[in-house]
Amino acid sequence: MKEVVAIIQMNKMEATKNALDVVGFPAFTAYKAMGRGKQRGLEIVCPSDLEEPRGGSVKFLPKRMISVVVVEEFVPAVVAVITRVNRTGNIGDGRIFVSPIEESVRIRTDERGSEAVS
Amino acid sequence: MGRCSMKMIRAIVRPEKLDKVADALEEAGFVALTKLDVFGRGKQKGIRVGEMVYDNLSKTMLMIVVDDEKLEEAVKAIEESARTGNIGDGKIFVTPVEEAYTIRTGARGL
Repeated sequence: MKEVVAIIQMNKMEATKNALDVVGFPAFTAYKAMGRGKQRGLEIVCPSDLEEPRGGSVKFLPKRMISVVVVEEFVPAVVAVITRVNRTGNIGDGRIFVSPIEESVRIRTDERGSEAVS
Repeated sequence: MGRCSMKMIRAIVRPEKLDKVADALEEAGFVALTKLDVFGRGKQKGIRVGEMVYDNLSKTMLMIVVDDEKLEEAVKAIEESARTGNIGDGKIFVTPVEEAYTIRTGARGL
């Protein structure tokens, strides 16, 4: 099993949810997160007609983090779906990380392993 | 790209230390990070103030993914900036990451 962790834009949450549902991965966990990438957050340039033009900056931007646990063979599909839905071509589209999961248990039935994530 | 060439660091730190840790990481060259507000307790079972027991202490979880060879450096930066010496300074967990993708370009790797 693998865990696909994706950090995405907040406004893409609904679209991502629907797209994952359509291709058969309705189950996932979502977190509200704050984050920044290698651009170090956002620089805000104030309008120049102010007396004292000063740029501000936002250190952390609001993001959503979703975690989908699937069996290994579905990882490319999940990555492809998330990438397709979330790509706008602008900075801040997000990251996807894939990590191994040793064990999973369905609490209701005590099923283990890939049974539990299917 | 080999398997398991990256590591995910999840550090649970004091919320008030966040800025210091973020600055220390930035200085060490780890600009990108994700933070989550979480609640938790450690082996001291929370803290007791008189009659009241607080066992859901608010913490901040930092999540960063780094290349294997930079792991020690990143962990050290977090450790040194988040440490106060008192209980509740937090924990750092490291897990393997096999693949990483940038959504904007679809490129693999960090």
